[in-house]
Amino acid sequence: MKISPSLKRKELLIEKAFNMAKIGFWEVDLVKNTVFWSEITKKIHEVPEDYVPNLEEGINFYKEGKDRELISQAVSNGIATGEPWDVELIIVTAKGRELWVRAQGEAELANGKAVRLFGIFQDIDDKKRKDLAYSQAMERLALATNAAKIGVWDYDVVQNNLVWDDNMFELYGLNRSNFSGEVEAWESSVHPEDKKRGQEELALALAGEKEFNTEFRIIQPTGEIRRIKAMATVKRDQNGHPIQMIGTNWDITELKETQLQLQRTIESFNGAFENSSIGMALVGLNGKWITVNNSLCKSIGYTSKELMGLTFQDLTHPDDLKKDLGFLKQLVDGEIETYQIEKRYFHKKGHIVYVLLTVTAVHDIDGNLSHFISQIVDITSRVEAQRKQQELNKIALEQNKNLMNFAHIVSHNLRSHATNMTMLLGFLSKEKDGEEFQKILSMLQSASLGLNETVDHLNEVVQIKTTALDNLKSVNLGEAIAHTKNNIRAQIDELDTTIKVNVPNDLFIKAVPAYLDSILLNLFTNALKYCSTERAPIIEIDTKIQNGKVELRFSDNGLGIDLDRHGKKIFGMFKTFHRHKDAKGIGLFITKNQVEAMGGKITVESEPNLGTSFILTFDLAKKMNDS
Amino acid sequence: MKKIKCACVIDDDPICTYWTKKMMDELMFSEDILIFENGQDAIEGLKNIIARGEQLPEVILLDLNMPIMDGWDFLEDFVKLPNHNKGNVYVYIVSSSVAQQDLERAKKFDVVNNYILKPLTHKELTQILKAVA
Repeated sequence: MKISPSLKRKELLIEKAFNMAKIGFWEVDLVKNTVFWSEITKKIHEVPEDYVPNLEEGINFYKEGKDRELISQAVSNGIATGEPWDVELIIVTAKGRELWVRAQGEAELANGKAVRLFGIFQDIDDKKRKDLAYSQAMERLALATNAAKIGVWDYDVVQNNLVWDDNMFELYGLNRSNFSGEVEAWESSVHPEDKKRGQEELALALAGEKEFNTEFRIIQPTGEIRRIKAMATVKRDQNGHPIQMIGTNWDITELKETQLQLQRTIESFNGAFENSSIGMALVGLNGKWITVNNSLCKSIGYTSKELMGLTFQDLTHPDDLKKDLGFLKQLVDGEIETYQIEKRYFHKKGHIVYVLLTVTAVHDIDGNLSHFISQIVDITSRVEAQRKQQELNKIALEQNKNLMNFAHIVSHNLRSHATNMTMLLGFLSKEKDGEEFQKILSMLQSASLGLNETVDHLNEVVQIKTTALDNLKSVNLGEAIAHTKNNIRAQIDELDTTIKVNVPNDLFIKAVPAYLDSILLNLFTNALKYCSTERAPIIEIDTKIQNGKVELRFSDNGLGIDLDRHGKKIFGMFKTFHRHKDAKGIGLFITKNQVEAMGGKITVESEPNLGTSFILTFDLAKKMNDS
Repeated sequence: MKKIKCACVIDDDPICTYWTKKMMDELMFSEDILIFENGQDAIEGLKNIIARGEQLPEVILLDLNMPIMDGWDFLEDFVKLPNHNKGNVYVYIVSSSVAQQDLERAKKFDVVNNYILKPLTHKELTQILKAVA
């Protein structure tokens, strides 16, 4: 085939233009089976200028595998059908470099048969690699926005065209196909109350007056209201006119609700904390009060400001501290989560406050102990009521015991006289003998006297039990002792008794004067009655003052009592332990009742043949006539 | 009827012991009658009998309410005596106490045969005599 000079010139021109665009040219003459590569084509393949290519070698430059298969197919198809191709593939240059190229080509057919292939060849490596990097970055971004459910929108300001990505439609719960455009989709979804504001904020952002960073509510087709956070940036031309706005939307409903919930929780906790009738406190790991409520302040008498400078240890009764700290250690060691104890605090005024304390550990987000929550229920009134109850129970029990004793006495002592009389009367009816008759009569008389005496004693006991106990007066103990001593002066002197009284002159006790006299008289006469025959009686009286109580110790060196044997019965009625003609077993019983009637106690210590000590307690009276 | 050799009365009430002894004499209750005023005297007396190697009384009439050592304490010491020829000694409580608790307490002592409420009568002494002899 001959080529005309004009055509040849045209080809040269084209080649020049191609050279300038770095586009290579190639041609395959299928008839002559020759291959032509332009200079650029050779350069792209990195082959020398004198390189003579052939069709097969040309194909083999394509990277083995997918690239080579594609070009082979495209060329084969072109030869067979005359269809042109335009592919972007990778070649491996003569120097072994991988390079992205664009290969375009077509076949020239003559009588339906391909006679020539020709086309252009272009190095697109830079562009292709940039495109790939870009699309990878885009892919990553899409992945991230998808995962984060972030919707992306793009508003072309000039064309007034809004484009949403798929996430946007998903956020709004909409189907892309149902809307003619995204503007319509947004306007139909946004909450009517937020629409105007949204539009205004958009306008402000476009005008450059305010950044677009807002929140609004949307109503999904299901009727569900969601909260959307929206941010956008505006792109402008050289003149500062907005041309494009790109932004994001994301759903913050749950976040917002959690925030609201947290706020409500904090508010309700603070409300409960402040207004609780239970004392509450946050306590630091060092025992310092962090926050205390009114109730606690009221219970222990300190202001919250004063408490802040103190630790719970400062206020805890020393006897309860060990118990509390023991539990606290278990709490710190994580062995327990909470504990509850009854303990005592000191009120600012010094008195004891009984509380039921519950301590719970609070951990920070890393699981470390951060502080304690203490709940402190003031149970002082309960404890005091309980104690009063216990005291009443004790009194009731004691009185019940006395009553039993009393019943026993009535059943035995009164009956014994009565049975004697019955028996004597039985004998009397049979007796004729004058002497025996007289004997029975005198026995009857003695039995009736005994009955009388027992009734008198019982009456005395009943008197003590029924006398009002609030008749207590302030009595000088030393004077009372001296008075009793004077009354039995004769007896004391007769036995050559030594009496040592160590009682302060100004000691006053709360007592019923008549009872005190009776008690002292009983103690003195007992000591004298049961004195040892081997030694002269010594009586010692000492006092001790402790916690508002006066302890009186009345000791003798007499016969003593075997307490192992009689200890339980010593203050019982009609119990006697000595062979003494006057022993009636009533004195100590009455003494005990009188002491207890005045709110005191009496105990005994004794060793047989060494002596006996009676220990009595009375309430201390501060000054005279202080009742 | 076999005659009882020795009977023992433990009671602090002189009126009571006087008439008990009188009734026993009338009934010819026993050859001998021992009288103690309280539990302490009685225990010591019985210990002496054992020390002399003699027989303990076959019948003991025991009051409960007594000074120094009462009937209960006596019983506790009595059962501890080294040889009180058990089975041959019949203990009767003779008390004016009608308290139920005393009756219940008396039942706890195996050695106690019966609880007799004062006043003691001829009839009751005769019954004891029948039971023992």
